[in-house]
Amino acid sequence: MSPEPTSLLQGTLDLLILKSLIAGEMHGLGVSRRIQQITGGTFVVKPGSLFPALHRMEEEGWISSFWGASENNRRAKYYRLSKAGLRQLEAETKRWGRISWAIAQALGVS
Amino acid sequence: MPLFVKARSFLRNLFLSRRVEIDLDQEVHAHLEMMAEENIRAGMQPNDALRAARVELGGIDQVKVQVREQRLGNWLHSVLFDCRYGIRQLRKNPGPTAVIVFTLALAIGATTAIFSVVYGVLLRPLPYTDSNRIMAVFEVNAEGRWAHLADPNFDDFRDQNRSFQAIAKYSEYVVSVSGASQPSRTTVAPVSPDFLKVFGIQPILGRDFTADDAKKGAGRTVLVSYGYWRQDLGSPQDLSQAHLKIDGAVYSVIGVLPAGFRFPADVDLWLPADLDGENPSRTAHNYYAAGRLRDGVTVELANRDISAIARRIHDTSSEQGDYLLKDGIVVSLQNSITGKARPPLLVLLGAVGFLLLVACANVANLLLAQASVRERELAIRSALGAARGRLIRQFLTEAFLLSLAGGGLGVLGAFWGVAGLLGLAPQNLPRLDSVSISVPVLLFAFLLSTAVAAGLGAFTAARVTSGDLRKGLVEGGRGQAGSQGSQRVGRVIVAAQIAITLVLVVGAGLLGRSLMKVLEVNPGFRVDKIVTMDVSLPWVDDPKAKASQAIFFSNLIDRLKQIPGVRKVGATSGLPMNQDGGLPDGMFLLMTQNEIPRTTDGFGALFQQKERIGNADFCVATDGYFQVLGIPLIRGRIFDERDGANSPHVAVISESLARDRWPNQEPIGHTIEFGNMDGDLRLLTIVGIVGDTHEYGLDAPPRPTVYVNLFQRPRAAVTLTMLSDADTRMVTSAARGILQDLNPEIPARFRTFSQVYSASLGSRRFNVILIGFFLFRQPPHARDWRARRSRRGLRRRSEDDIGPGIAHYFYWCGDWDCRFAGTDAHRGVAALWRHCHRSADFRRSDTAPRWRSAAGLFHSGAARHESRPNGRLALRIERGF
Repeated sequence: MSPEPTSLLQGTLDLLILKSLIAGEMHGLGVSRRIQQITGGTFVVKPGSLFPALHRMEEEGWISSFWGASENNRRAKYYRLSKAGLRQLEAETKRWGRISWAIAQALGVS
Repeated sequence: MPLFVKARSFLRNLFLSRRVEIDLDQEVHAHLEMMAEENIRAGMQPNDALRAARVELGGIDQVKVQVREQRLGNWLHSVLFDCRYGIRQLRKNPGPTAVIVFTLALAIGATTAIFSVVYGVLLRPLPYTDSNRIMAVFEVNAEGRWAHLADPNFDDFRDQNRSFQAIAKYSEYVVSVSGASQPSRTTVAPVSPDFLKVFGIQPILGRDFTADDAKKGAGRTVLVSYGYWRQDLGSPQDLSQAHLKIDGAVYSVIGVLPAGFRFPADVDLWLPADLDGENPSRTAHNYYAAGRLRDGVTVELANRDISAIARRIHDTSSEQGDYLLKDGIVVSLQNSITGKARPPLLVLLGAVGFLLLVACANVANLLLAQASVRERELAIRSALGAARGRLIRQFLTEAFLLSLAGGGLGVLGAFWGVAGLLGLAPQNLPRLDSVSISVPVLLFAFLLSTAVAAGLGAFTAARVTSGDLRKGLVEGGRGQAGSQGSQRVGRVIVAAQIAITLVLVVGAGLLGRSLMKVLEVNPGFRVDKIVTMDVSLPWVDDPKAKASQAIFFSNLIDRLKQIPGVRKVGATSGLPMNQDGGLPDGMFLLMTQNEIPRTTDGFGALFQQKERIGNADFCVATDGYFQVLGIPLIRGRIFDERDGANSPHVAVISESLARDRWPNQEPIGHTIEFGNMDGDLRLLTIVGIVGDTHEYGLDAPPRPTVYVNLFQRPRAAVTLTMLSDADTRMVTSAARGILQDLNPEIPARFRTFSQVYSASLGSRRFNVILIGFFLFRQPPHARDWRARRSRRGLRRRSEDDIGPGIAHYFYWCGDWDCRFAGTDAHRGVAALWRHCHRSADFRRSDTAPRWRSAAGLFHSGAARHESRPNGRLALRIERGF
């Protein structure tokens, strides 16, 4: 049984998008499904959150976009990680590691 | 790199917004379709699949809005959108919009124009290096008045002070200068050698004065202004051949000062002072002084320093008396130049400030009226999800648009207005050349517009968006003419406007009234049909040379009399109301015929005897002078042919001097000693008494005056006066020809006496015209609220009474300002507050006969204006929405 979908913590969405894009370029739906997959269904990203985040990250220069063909030969907008995005992912991952360790310590669940 | 990406995104969002939008649209639609396909693959029917996809997406437009809000530069987009929307709104109501923009343009323009004068005259630093370190030094006399410096006092200040790195004395006068392109009357400044060091400048060509140049009997040297060097000397690079004949003596030009340096104002030539030796008297106040403070010395320290020296001089000097300094004072040079102009300019600035407030109140009223009709629009926008902040921003944006448009127009107007102001400004307003619409002034205008916009926008928005906006929908959407609350605000605004208008009106009334009072003063002389001619011969000391100058003037007068149309000709050392300075004043001694004075020192003791001394202005004149100006002879006689150079010297005194110095006595026949004024110690016998004249302007009391005869007491510089029925130009050219004939090296300045006279009224007229202008252009919209109410049948009696009430009030003010005629505007405005408290008990019967006062006239007009409702405009506002 898959766990209940949880609402995303502040700042985690960016991290998850970057993480999912590390597997390769992907369109919005792909990113959404990928996040669902890698979090074991804990996080379901709605388009209302996904698209603003994608556009914002593109403007930040972490990801870039291009139009390509989908699996079903449909025109779709693809996103790929940029160098700056990769650096951002590393930094965020470290930060997240510290935070989650600290929270786990605090809650005594480690 | 990310910065570059960001900038690219920002620009793309801004300029390629259509493509960005299409992109977004396609992306979201592709997303939707892919989700639907997924659902179909999962076994759904196509219709259900699409619906489920839509549900998951949560609305295409909502997604788009969320993306847009994340975009870089989104705020700019929404501001631009607000602006576009605002402009549409404003264009929909062209009438009120034009009125608002015009009102703001006038108010902001007027404020900017006045501020440009205030800035140029009072605030802009003097154009010298570290000009805030340059100080003016004055003596302070026993009465606490500031006086110029006497030579020995200046020397002590210079030698004993520890505060100034350089200190110099200077003076200025107009003399005849020849040797350049043509003889001219030029303003020259005798200065002490450190003069340029005080101002931190150096000659651009040639050299500065040295201490040797200023020694008694040194070769005569002169520095010239850049303009004089260019125009009158023909810009020679080699100055060794450049010589000027100044006041009869030849000077070598040794240096050229940088362009733009003209201090004191209008000076073209600077000479070393006292080449003939200093005046040893400590009470001959002949020089200004300026100094540059040493580093680290404050004004207070310098003041203490100078004050200590001054008191030391006072305690040790043998010349005790009213004319000896008691103290010294140091003030910044800028303040000493502009000090007198400060109060009237600040009053003007205050007046335009009030005007701006009135204009803002009008505009606020108008905006509220518009906004209350927009309640329905606001209700709809708020129902559609617009936050209150968003609506407030809309109002702010519109206010900004209006006031920037108004401010822009106003600044354009100010360019024109400043030119007009300068034309109107009295000539004695200092530093007029530095008045212009400069960058700081533009900045001021912009900040002013912004402040006005912020105030108006915030006020309107706060009023309109308070309470439940959606009510506007519930009430059926008929544009309401203001709720109870907004009507109260409207009344408060009207009350404030009336209050401010009152202040302006009373101020203008006072100024106008005092101008009229001044004009009603009998100056004591005729003004029209007089042509004046300033002539100065070289200054000489030798009695024989002086006598020959007297003969020269005698010949000149005789020749001038022959010009056709010229009836009488006279000469004087100082024309009344002349802005150039005025007559010298000093103490004279009552002497008996047989007391023969021998030396100047011998008088020291006599001046200690109070019953012997008197104080008067000293005027050199000819008999014709009294006839030309029509100064009446009261008793005795004026000068005539009996009073030759070798006859006993005679004097004519003014009526007020006779009354004050010889009360209950006949002054004719008394002898006085007034040789300290011109160095001639021969006694003067009083032979006549003439009427008083207001020499220092109509608003100053007549000064006691002693007139002596030009032919007995010759002087080099005189003003000839010609009473003539002929055309002024004809008289002028004939007189110029005669002078040319007698001595081609002597230039002359011609004016009509009316010009001199009206120049002396300049500053008063300036104030009245300005404040009157503000009143005249009182914006007419204070009454929209009343008009709106009357349409709804809500008019109350108290409001009907406002108009006549104000009129009565103003009549009363008229009476009040008659009694206070002559007070300055700022005193008047201050007095208004006192007056307001007293005004409650005025009675109708008090007001009848006072319509004649200037203020009353102004006021009743303003009141009529104010009380007439402008129904048409109010109607148009209602219809406009």
